[in-house]
Parts: sequence; C-alpha cells; structure tokens
Amino acid sequence: MSDHDRVPVPSGTLARRLAEERLTRRRFLGRLAAVGAGGAMVPLLAACGAGATASPTAAPTATATGTPGPTTSSPSAEPTPAPTPEGELYVYNYADYIGEDAIPSFEKKYGVKVTYDPFDTYETMTAKISGGNSGYDVTFATSVDVPGFLARNLVQPLDLSLIPNRVNLAPEWQDPGYDPGNKSSMPYMWWTTGFAYDTEKIKEELTSWAALWDARWKGKMAMLDDYREAFGAALIRLGYSVNTTSDAELDEALALLQEQKPLLRTYTTDDIGVLSSGDVWLSHAWGSDVYQVVAERPSVKYVIPAEGGIRGSDAMVLLAGAKHPVAANLFINHMLDAQVSAANTNFIGYMGPNAAAREFIDPAILDDPTVNPDKAAIEKLQELLDLGPDLQKYQERWTKLRAGA
Amino acid sequence: MNRDRTRDAVFLLPGLAWLVIFFAVPLAIIFVVSLGSRDQFGGVVLDTLGFQNYLRALEPDFLPTIANSLRYAALTTIFSIAIAYPIAYWISRYGGRRKTLLLILVMLPFWTSWVIRTYAWMTILRDNGVVNGILQGLGITGAPIALLNTDLAVVLGMTYGFLPFAILPLYVSIDRLDPSLVAAARDLYAGGRAAFWHVTLPLTMPGVIAAALLTFIPAIGDFVTPDLLGGAQTITIAKVIQSLFLSSKDWPFGAALGFLLIVTTVVATVGTLRILRREVIG
Amino acid sequence: MRRERNPLLTAYAVVVYAFLFAPIVVLILFSFNDSKRNFVWRGFTLKWYPELFANDALLAALGVTLQVAVISVLATTILGTLLGLGLARLRSGAASGVADTLILLPMVTPEVVMGISLLLFFALAFSANGSIWQIAIAHIAFSISYVAIIVRARAVSLDPRMEEAARDLGASPAAAFFHVTLPLIAPAVAAGALIAFALSFDDLIITSFNAGVGSSTLPLYIYSRIRFGVTPEINAISTIIVTATAILILVAMRFNARGSRSASRAAAAPRTSERS
Repeated sequence: MSDHDRVPVPSGTLARRLAEERLTRRRFLGRLAAVGAGGAMVPLLAACGAGATASPTAAPTATATGTPGPTTSSPSAEPTPAPTPEGELYVYNYADYIGEDAIPSFEKKYGVKVTYDPFDTYETMTAKISGGNSGYDVTFATSVDVPGFLARNLVQPLDLSLIPNRVNLAPEWQDPGYDPGNKSSMPYMWWTTGFAYDTEKIKEELTSWAALWDARWKGKMAMLDDYREAFGAALIRLGYSVNTTSDAELDEALALLQEQKPLLRTYTTDDIGVLSSGDVWLSHAWGSDVYQVVAERPSVKYVIPAEGGIRGSDAMVLLAGAKHPVAANLFINHMLDAQVSAANTNFIGYMGPNAAAREFIDPAILDDPTVNPDKAAIEKLQELLDLGPDLQKYQERWTKLRAGA
Repeated sequence: MNRDRTRDAVFLLPGLAWLVIFFAVPLAIIFVVSLGSRDQFGGVVLDTLGFQNYLRALEPDFLPTIANSLRYAALTTIFSIAIAYPIAYWISRYGGRRKTLLLILVMLPFWTSWVIRTYAWMTILRDNGVVNGILQGLGITGAPIALLNTDLAVVLGMTYGFLPFAILPLYVSIDRLDPSLVAAARDLYAGGRAAFWHVTLPLTMPGVIAAALLTFIPAIGDFVTPDLLGGAQTITIAKVIQSLFLSSKDWPFGAALGFLLIVTTVVATVGTLRILRREVIG
Repeated sequence: MRRERNPLLTAYAVVVYAFLFAPIVVLILFSFNDSKRNFVWRGFTLKWYPELFANDALLAALGVTLQVAVISVLATTILGTLLGLGLARLRSGAASGVADTLILLPMVTPEVVMGISLLLFFALAFSANGSIWQIAIAHIAFSISYVAIIVRARAVSLDPRMEEAARDLGASPAAAFFHVTLPLIAPAVAAGALIAFALSFDDLIITSFNAGVGSSTLPLYIYSRIRFGVTPEINAISTIIVTATAILILVAMRFNARGSRSASRAAAAPRTSERS
C-alpha cells in the first residue's frame, strides 16, 4: 500500500566515503575477507573516523562480535542457551536493501546458508505470500501492512527469547501501534516523505505543499505513484489527517488532486530518476531517495513542508509456514545488532530505529536532515495507519483520479 | 478419413491440452475469484458469489483508460505493420544468402532486457537526451522539446517493442510468394504499385493478419511502456488492472475487469477474423 | 541469386535497422558509464565488466533465465508447430472457432491475471510455491499461441497434395511429415522459435509470480533494482549477451555457408535444374 515503493538506496554513502578515502572497493572487500566479518567493522570505522567529528568509542567491542559463541554485553547480545538453527534461511527483500556484510557475518556466525532473493516489487511479494506459503522465511513488510498480515495469518509471532537485541531499539520503537510489543515484527528502517526541487531551476525557496500545485511549474512536476502518499499530500495540505475515513474530506482531497493532474509531467515511483535526469524540477519524494539524487545533482534540495509530511517504516517479519524459524529469529536478532544495524544504515542510507547503533552510524548520515530529520521536523510528520476496509475509499478515488481524463 | 482424424488429433491435442491444463484451468480459478469480494485486508472472500464486480467494471470511470489502451494498440499495430512490411519484403527479395542473418539481426535487440531498452529510449528522448541534444546542437531548437512523457513517446516505444512481432510473420508470408507471380502481375498491371495492391498484398494477407494479431492483442496488455514513457494522462486499462491486483489488493475486481477486457478483445478479434477470412482469403 | 538491387528500399532497410539498434547502441555505450545510474554520462570506465563477473546473484539469475528459455523454446516450438499445422487443416466450423479462441486467450489475458492464476493453480493443485519448472511451464503456456499463429499463417497456404504425393510414393506419414511438410514450414517454425525465445528471456510479470526460492531470473533481478538504480552492470551483461549472440550467429553462418557451398557443388554437378 504505502511507502513500499520507496527506493532502497544502494552504496551511495559507502561509495562516496570510499571515493573520499581513495579506498577501492576491491581492497575494502579484501580487507573484509581478511579480517573476518565482525572485525571488518574496524577498517570501516577507521575510514569513517578520518573525516568524522565523533569517533566511535565502542570500537573495541566490535572485534568481539565476529567470534561465534557467547558474547560480551550489548550492543550485541546472544540468546542463551545457544540455539541450533536450521542449515538454511530464505530471505525475501528488495535488492541491496541490506548492508553488504549483514548476511556474510550471519552465515559465518551460525553456519547457516542464506538465500537472499529480491522481489521485483513489494506488491509481488504481498501477492505471493497471500497464498500462505511462499517458501520464504523472512521478509520485510511495510509497517502499515503488518496488522493485515497478522490478521490473515500470513506471518507468525516471533520467538522473543531468540531476539535479545531488541533492547537496542529506541524507546519509541519498543511498542509501536501497528504491532504492540513487537511480538510479530521488528522494525527495520524508517523514512519521511516530503518533496524535493532543483534549486538551480527554481530560484525561490519552497516550503509548502502548495508548490506542487503551482502552475508556474506546469509540466515539470511529478507526484509519487502511490495512492496513500498522494492522498496524504493533499490531505495534509487541507489540514486533515492522512488516515481520515471521512468521505467529505476524501472528496476534497480528490478534487485537489484532480486540479493538480494536468500540471504534472508524470506519476512515478522512480523519484530518484526523474529528479536526477532533470526532466522534473519539483517532485513529491521520499527523503532517503533524495539523498541519492544529490549525489547526481547536488542542486536538489529536500523539504519536509511546513504543513507536515509522512513518516513510514518497515519491519522484518517471520512468514507463516517458514521452514527455518530458528534461523529466521536469529537472523532478525542479528539485524538488530548495533553494528549490523549501523552498517545497514551506512550502506543503504536509511535511518534505523536502533538507538544502540547510533554511535556506529556514519556522521554524514546523522547530520543529514533528509535522512535523519531533527525532532522539530519529526513532530510535523504523520504516520500512515492500516485502515482496514476503509482503504477502499482511497483506492476507488485513486482509480478515478488516474483513470479519468 | 479415420486416419485423418487421428492425425488431426495428434497435431492439435498436445498444444491444446497444455493450454487447457496450464492456462484455462488457472483462468477458471481466477474467474471464481472474480465472483467473490475483497475482505478488509486484501484477501479474497468467496461467501457470496455474484457478478457485482462486473457491474462495477462497466462503470464509465474506466472508459478513458480503455480508450487509451485501444488507441495505443491500434496506432502501434498500424505503424508496426507499415514499417515492417517493406523491411520484410526487402529481406525476402534482396537478402540473398544473408536472409537468416538479417532476420536474426531483427530479433537481436530483443535479447536484451526491456528495462534497459526502455531506459535507453528515455535517455534518447529526455529533455537532456540525445535527440534534444542534437536538435539544440544543430540550432534547430532553442529549448528542449518535451518528447518523453508524451503520447508520441509511448507509441514510439510500443512500436519499437512490437516491430519484430510484425516483421517475422510478414517475412514468412512474403517469402513464399512465387516471384513469377509477381513478375506476371507487373506485366499485367503495367506498374509496380498496382501489382502490389492487387496481387502481392492479397497473397500475403495471412501474414498481415498474423502480424496484426501478434501486435494488437499484446499491445492492449502492455502497461509498462505507457507507464514509463508516458505522462500523467496516459494510463491504460492494463495498468489499472495491474494496480488493482497489486496495489489495491482487490483481486476480485481486478479479475472482473480483466475478464471483461479478455472477452471483448476476443469477441472483437474473432469476429474481425471471420469477416476478413471470408472476404479476403476465402 | 539475382543481383537485383533496389536502392530506395535498401536505404529504407538501413534506416529501420538503425531504428532497431539505436537503443542498443545507447545501452552499450552506457555500459561504460562511470556512474551508478543510467541517466547521465559521467565518464568512461571499464569497471562494470569485472564487477559483473563478481556478481553471483546476477550470474545465477542469468543461468536460470537461460535454462528456462531453452526448455520453453523447445517445448513451445514443438507444441506450437503441431498446433499451427492442425489448425491450418481445420478449415471452418465449430472446432476451428473454439480452437481459435483458445489460442487467442493467452495473448489477450493481462499478464498479472495470468501470473496470479498460475500462482493460485500451482499452490492449490501441487502446493508448489515456485521453481524453474513452474516458470518454464508458464512460459510455454503463453508462448504456444505465438508459434501456432505464425505456423498456421504459413501452413494455410501449403499445398496438401505435396504430402499426399509423398505418401503415394510410399513414404510413411511420419516420413512425409519430416521430409516434406516440415521443410516447407521451416521458416515459420524458426520465426516462432525466435519469438518464443525473446518472450521467455524477457518475461517479467508472469515469471515473478512463478519464481521460487533461488529461481530468480534476469528480468526479475533487473527490475528489482529498477528504482534503486539500474547500474551499468546490467548494461554490461546485455552487451555481452548481444555480442556473444552476434558472434555465434556469424560462426553459424560461416559453417552454413561452407556446408551449403559444398552441398550445392555436389548437387550442381550431376543434375541440371529441377525447378518445377
């Protein structure tokens, strides 16, 4: 439904850092291999340390995590007694939406062979698991979808005794509305939605959603091809909740979107592409995507509008019918490890919910308001909630909007 | 006669059986789904089976998208065949020993991924792309022309994508033309053009029809090209069905819309074929 | 072969081939682009080629794609050719109408409908959740029609007396088929096979619903990265595929030419023309 089409960011950050340190990818991978999974964090941290202001003081514990068996204290707790996982694990996720070393380090630690398959679109994944037995163990669901998956028994509760790392989660993530107590899911990454524009083409400062309705930019604008995001933008502009189920409010939002449609160049899920190519000067966009655009086109700026924006997140879930539940739980625990989580963030450029990971995250990301907005900005964000059967009200209007002349 | 019937069966049954088992039966399952309704989470509920989804699918909201699909498919078919016929003719008549090579060269671009081919077209048609670059470089235009995200881009992309599907059947049909017939026709009609219209074209009609089928029908279902190369107004019925299934998770309604599309297209096509066969081929 | 020339038509042919290969040229060019994305040219680099060979997931996907394509082309060509021939003989009547419709249906059915229908079918009937074989079965199902239509178009104008004559001369039905009918429709069969390969190699939607653990195909792999960035690695692999195919064809043509040259020499020697 919503946010699932946000673009996982590939090694944008990593590539930039590597370029800066003049460390070739091959040499880096070589180091990874030589030093071993956990210990590999050390050269990464050293590279970060060269240009960073805050140096990770917890670096010494990094070496401990790579070794199998009982660990030191957090940030990487291991379940005790040490469990025996199955020999394999099947993970289903976006391509490259995971740190480069997350899986190899997991494989090494537990001797489990992981098959990581990418789905072509998030919707294909939901369609496949709807059957109840997709063959996969773990997947990454947008948090809005988690209640629905639970109700339809497509996912099963986690074995929390195998996931001690959950203490690493920031307090606001310990008991989310979509899954109280994180009993059946563990948060993975979060992001924001606002808009971005090319400051070279648009010389004034834009701060309001109204910019996307400005006829001066006719033919140079794009909206996200996602009905909850699009309606969200209109609803926020009208001052309503993005989770409203009022027909009157939704009709107003539809009218607004219909006004906008002739001004748009396109509806897209490739906000990175349209902004990078320069065909579009102003686009509805996901913050972490804009982080990528800036690498190609530095004049692009991301804005969380004054009226507010949207915050989304996804979560790791254990699929019903999973053949390797122990390995799956351990994998989820592994992803909540402070260093693994930080490495994921550093690689894909999205912020995680992991408080313990913050000290290992690339300061460039921590400082970047597109990926890591400050508290004031976060206050303005609304979170999309599961609307159950009322979702049809949005879908019908979206179809009307897109299909209409 | 008996031998002929078993012979017919041997030819027809394997293919038809495959289609029945691996196409018709699954389709029947989806038909049942189309009679159901969507539960609140996007699952399918089969308690009350009925045709409510079909009634909903007939609402006029979808007419513009159906019109878009038909328009793109028709234009694509016309352009594809118009472009394909001369080249198929050229390969057949003037290809000589290199005929096969030339045919495979036609197919070669399509052994790459359509994603990248479409990206390549986007690169060519973009505001900062190849075409605009050339036009501006030669001083023909001052500012970039919007080529991408237009109907033009969609038809161009679709015609490109379906061209080999037109060229191959046309080639097959043209290639079996007896050259002496064409020569005789030229003598009779004292001119190439008349000979073409009265002799060559009718004789290659089966190929033209095959090409039209292989272009028009799949073109109606192409939602990706209009999606990527088109603009905000170019949505097609295929895309609506796609997003009903995947984004809205409304399988029953998507299935109903899909079936309506299938039925109307089949009826129209079979009907047209019947007429054409009677009038043209006999 | 007559040395006939038609400069206008030849010029036209050049333009059409240029049109066909324009995006391919861009594609190949961008495989050397020093940028993670496929949009703007940033500089020349060869790095994507070695990176491609280090990319296990990509290579595995290519392997699956090729396996499926081979299976699909073989089965589709056989089934489709037989079907096309059978249909050509059914001149009119109810049977022909039903068969016509059945053939058209897979082409008319929206891919998402067909993909999900097969997903449900295999899950319900076989509790299967995707595999190389499931993908191949799906590909065969949607490709048969294309081959059947092309073969039928050609077979419809076949002179039935050819086969009769062969049989009168003492050939068995099978021999008559293989030595008379098949060669007469060979171009249609070959065209069908080419199309079947292209259809299978590049299929996305139907494949996505029928792929299972470890059976990702190249289009799936590519599309899964479409929004995160189709890196020039993909261009590189496409360039390699196109080049490899082109080389294979050239080699095949060389062999063919040599073979036919010696064959025609042998044929020309004892006999004179046997044109009817």
